[in-house]
Amino acid sequence: MGMEIRPFSEEWLGAVRAFNLRLRAAQLAEDMRLPENAATELLPGSELYIAVENGAVRGGYVLRQQQFYFGGEPNPVAHYRLPVSEGLVNKAYAMVGALMLRHALKMQPMLYALGMGSYEHPLARMLQAMKWSLCAVPFQFRMVHAGRCLRQLGPLRQPNWRRVVVDIAAATGVGGLGIQAVQWTRTMRIPSGWKAESAGTFGKWADVVWQSCRADYRMIALRDSETLERLYPASDPRFVRLRVSRRGETIGWAVLLDTAMHQDRYFGDLRLGTLVDCLAAPADARAVTHAARVELERRGVDLIISNQGHSAWSWALREEGCWNGPSNFLFAASPQLVKLLTPFESAQRELHLNRGDGDGPIHL
Amino acid sequence: MNIEILSEVCSIAGDLFEKDPRSLTAGSSPEDVEKWDSVQHLNLVLALEERYGIQFEPEEMDGMKNLGQVAALVGSKLS
Repeated sequence: MGMEIRPFSEEWLGAVRAFNLRLRAAQLAEDMRLPENAATELLPGSELYIAVENGAVRGGYVLRQQQFYFGGEPNPVAHYRLPVSEGLVNKAYAMVGALMLRHALKMQPMLYALGMGSYEHPLARMLQAMKWSLCAVPFQFRMVHAGRCLRQLGPLRQPNWRRVVVDIAAATGVGGLGIQAVQWTRTMRIPSGWKAESAGTFGKWADVVWQSCRADYRMIALRDSETLERLYPASDPRFVRLRVSRRGETIGWAVLLDTAMHQDRYFGDLRLGTLVDCLAAPADARAVTHAARVELERRGVDLIISNQGHSAWSWALREEGCWNGPSNFLFAASPQLVKLLTPFESAQRELHLNRGDGDGPIHL
Repeated sequence: MNIEILSEVCSIAGDLFEKDPRSLTAGSSPEDVEKWDSVQHLNLVLALEERYGIQFEPEEMDGMKNLGQVAALVGSKLS
């Protein structure tokens, strides 16, 4: 019997576990595995599809159906997530990756992928071959405790000669002072009249923000109060939820993470503050990023990071003294989806995309 | 199997996998062609679709485990 792609059902759990064990035995990265517990591992709207052959699972992917808005007009789009194939460890199954991608496109031609890590990632290469459009979602950061950042940030410390320079800059204090000075001069214009408070729950006020600004973005995933409560539930203490207002009127919100990293490949042992998700009219982005920075600095983070697709949010972060860094957070749109985003070269800076999209704030 | 199609499939695969087409046979598979990985498999599918003006369905792509099977599938879609 040939390969068949089918929705996951409980009877396949053992075969999924066996598949994951085969991948683990080949010492692939820990996240190269299929979810074994849909309730805890999958975001709302997700369905796991598995490639099965003679009773064995040979691959799988997750299709997450989402409502997106294009200039305010709703359109269903699906996120092509976590495609994993036995072809990674056994070339006899090299065809599984292409088979799954074709299957997903047949299920929903309006597809996107997010993350991937690099244009050289196998999925990114496959999507480019399939004439998908790809772009990097800009990455920005601000060093709050510059000396610690210089000592801990992995990318700053490669190759060895740079590590020596950075260590000298950190030890003498020159590096930290220089960075603080540049960041300070960039943050001269402080927005005024705003007020931030802990959001509690995302209620009607969040719906008002959503309704008033969704048409400002060329493409944005549904961010009404119900969706936000599912993504960032008040019951999860990791999420810091800010409501930002001006003259008594809510203008936007932000979801932050404050995470103590431990021997992380990129962030070492830094205390990392992340602007995960946010929403406001583009004209009000600055007030929200400012509120987010103030809150993260108040909490004592060492480094603030964010990926923001829309130019208004990137600009707002630059005004907060953020530097542009190399982004490994890629957005890929299927040819059918790109029809709503032409010309893609200019549209890509009008997409509201951040770490709240796609897989959500993983690895943070 | 149509020898002409197999020969052309081997030629296309040779370009993609950076192998002398004469060294490829109906039995050549990802296991014995170093550069035949999941990405190149997709490139092979796309190149064949373009060359012959055909479209492979996901369920058909399972029957592409070696170049002989690929050529046979192309032949069946052309007939």
